Amino acid sequence: MRLTEHPILNFQERRGKKVTIYFEGQPIEAYEGETIVMALHAAGIRVLAHTFQKDRPRGLFCAIGKCASCLMTVNGIPNVRTCITLVEDGMQITKQKAKPKLPTTAKPPKWKDPEKIDADIVIIGGGPAGLMAAIYASDAGAKVALLDENPMLGGQLVKQTHKFFGKREQFAGVRGVKIADILEEEVKKRENIKVFLETSAIALLQEDDTKLVVGVRKNKELVEFRGKAVIVATGAMERMIPFENNDLPGIYGAGAIQTLMNTYGVKPGDRVLIIGAGNVGLILAYQLIQAGVEVKAIVEALPKIGGYFVHAAKVRRLGVPILTRHTILRAEGKEKVERAIVAQIDENWKPIPGTEKVFEVDVIALAVGLRPSIELLHQVGCQIKYAPELGGHVVIRDKRLETTIKGIFVAGDSAGIEEATTAMLEGKIAGIAAALSAGIASPEWLKEIEKAQKELDEFRSGPFGRKVLKGLEKVVVE
Amino acid sequence: MKSRAEVVIIGGGSTGTSIAYHLAKMGVEDVVLLEKGYLGSGSTFRCASGIRAQFTDEANIKLQKYNIERWKKLSEELEYDINFKQTGYLFLATSEEEVETFKNNIKLQNKFGVPTRLITPEEAKEIVPPLNTDFVLAGAWNPTDGKACPFKAVFAFAKKAREMGVEIYEYTPVTGIIVENGEIRGVKTEKGTIKTNIVVNAANAWAPIINEMAGLDRELIPIKPYKHQLVKTEPIEPGQIEPLVCPPAYNDSYVLQDGEDGGVLCGTGLEYGPTYDMNPTYEFLREVLKWATTIIPALKYVHVIRQWAGFYAKTPDKNPAIGKINYIDGFYIAAGFSGHGFMMAPGVGEGIAELIVKGRVTKVPLDLEWYDPHRFERGELRSAAFQIG
Repeated sequence: MRLTEHPILNFQERRGKKVTIYFEGQPIEAYEGETIVMALHAAGIRVLAHTFQKDRPRGLFCAIGKCASCLMTVNGIPNVRTCITLVEDGMQITKQKAKPKLPTTAKPPKWKDPEKIDADIVIIGGGPAGLMAAIYASDAGAKVALLDENPMLGGQLVKQTHKFFGKREQFAGVRGVKIADILEEEVKKRENIKVFLETSAIALLQEDDTKLVVGVRKNKELVEFRGKAVIVATGAMERMIPFENNDLPGIYGAGAIQTLMNTYGVKPGDRVLIIGAGNVGLILAYQLIQAGVEVKAIVEALPKIGGYFVHAAKVRRLGVPILTRHTILRAEGKEKVERAIVAQIDENWKPIPGTEKVFEVDVIALAVGLRPSIELLHQVGCQIKYAPELGGHVVIRDKRLETTIKGIFVAGDSAGIEEATTAMLEGKIAGIAAALSAGIASPEWLKEIEKAQKELDEFRSGPFGRKVLKGLEKVVVE
Repeated sequence: MKSRAEVVIIGGGSTGTSIAYHLAKMGVEDVVLLEKGYLGSGSTFRCASGIRAQFTDEANIKLQKYNIERWKKLSEELEYDINFKQTGYLFLATSEEEVETFKNNIKLQNKFGVPTRLITPEEAKEIVPPLNTDFVLAGAWNPTDGKACPFKAVFAFAKKAREMGVEIYEYTPVTGIIVENGEIRGVKTEKGTIKTNIVVNAANAWAPIINEMAGLDRELIPIKPYKHQLVKTEPIEPGQIEPLVCPPAYNDSYVLQDGEDGGVLCGTGLEYGPTYDMNPTYEFLREVLKWATTIIPALKYVHVIRQWAGFYAKTPDKNPAIGKINYIDGFYIAAGFSGHGFMMAPGVGEGIAELIVKGRVTKVPLDLEWYDPHRFERGELRSAAFQIG
């Protein structure tokens, strides 16, 4: 179902031309500019595949191309990530139930040389960190190539309808979705930034002093990006927790639900249970209510709410119970989520028998944390260290976010899980530092780095920054 | 760690673990195996899993015919399913000249009991339905060749060896070999010294380093590491490209479906070296995909999910060095397999064990003269073993 009214967002304005796609041969209405899986959800289709071995149904999970939950066959090509592939008129989409069978009469492809893009700095990821890095690297004089595998810039900002905190220059009081617009405008204004959307970085390699980023555009065209420096700003991926039937369609990462309703205006379901009372879980509850979806409860295993007090108070005022010291035992349902069973846990994190509660819901939202996306950094050989305070394995880097490989920088959630505000500040630092390392920026820019570092320190000085600072102690080297 | 052993094997790949298993099976009680990383981490776990008897010389054909018989019974013998399947090797000829070469090879293989036959492009298409036969004049098809799971094979050899008392130490790099008066006395490792009178160098690509530790020149048995690579696609339905398919004229490129999950392994002849660098290269990715989609065009619809590198431990004639090293009493070598270590492992392990226990090889058709580790210093090269990708 599509949302028609929303207090903050106007989807009618955003939707493109009407097109028709075909799901298992049946026509479905879609709009240009939306991804396949969004159009399917709008038409009520949630089961996207069945697993090869155990025939279990599969549905959307991350909605940003980072997991394998939404793979479908599109125009005969198996295993297409339908969450980041845009609809095209006449597209044929089918569910996968078995490993694909190859056609026996295909002709060899015509090979051509890949498109070659030369820049001073190649930035992977167009979220808050990547966008800020691009803007500042460009202002410092660098020619920038910015790629993102999603069909739009902004990263996770495009789904944040809440207003940001902090200082004015950190966009305090501005909604995330608006910040994305502002940053995108800034990027577009700069002629020395070239943007490549729907382009996945599949490898990061060193060719003597040059860095090569191998990209694949629209799942088929090879593009080679070369630069003197590379900034990896690939964000994070939603965590999963173990419980019975945690793979049922209707169990989504919190971000996927935001993508459905806030980016594409598709109602994720009717009744939702949220797991996790950190900021993401709390904000999600509020956004769901804004979109006209009932939130049954928020379940939190810790004895207290993890997120900001203001967010929790707002959610409570709207009548959503927050059950601390509770966990989800299992999901139930035939092909999709029909209900969730929750129980209280004791001091040893064991469920207490007799405390089970049943919630009749069609969506379970997991807001149980994020894991930095470090794959490319790991692949190229950057040193990795485990820092649970930052969300898991992250790269070792210096204060200017240069990794253990000269000329390779990191910024934002891929450097450690924090917030969009810190991601933007890190992006600014990495952008300038990369331009300095490429020998382009003048030394005056050092002042801007210092300014951003000071702002970061201030932002992290609150009680929520303590954990992050502990993590940074482990991975930031001189 | 043990302080004394009857035999110390250096190298925990398919060769080393097979030697350990066969020694224990023949009643040697005190066997120690040392591996610098984890078992299989050197070359075995990086291999393409193929097993064939389609060689072009008597020694290798005989050894491999025997090996296929061993592979057939290995799951039962080791009481662990190593997933050996006789899915065949299909070599494709692209010129009349090559067809003649194939015919001669087939004659030689048939002479030693390997049932290879020349087939038409139509027959090849029946065996591999998505095959592009536009470039194919004929095929050399041996249905008794096959593949096994390298991970399970090493695990099974090691498991059985341990059950029979072999001590295996992983993450235990060898740092020195003690030789006194031309005799082996012990092996030094990062974790302690083991006294022994017999050492087997099964370190394949790293074998020259071990030889040097024993005081031999690295060039005495000139094994050199060459970086080869593979890509693997996402799984496709089993049964479509089951044999290893290789047109040798297409830069020794080959494709085959992994026997475990059905993903397609694609290799090609592009190599780098000598080098101990194991980083995959972009050049290889582009090169191998061109060849793979020429052989099986429909692979253009399938995503690559993995790329990695491993070493062909090459000798000048691409035949391994197997046997006693005459300069040091108690020093044996089975290394330099030039890309064929995994497929040869059962028979080579058995042969080396026979040599150590009985002083000669009786059961395994292992031609110790052909594989003589001293042939290089005499300047005697064998005809090159038939090698692909």
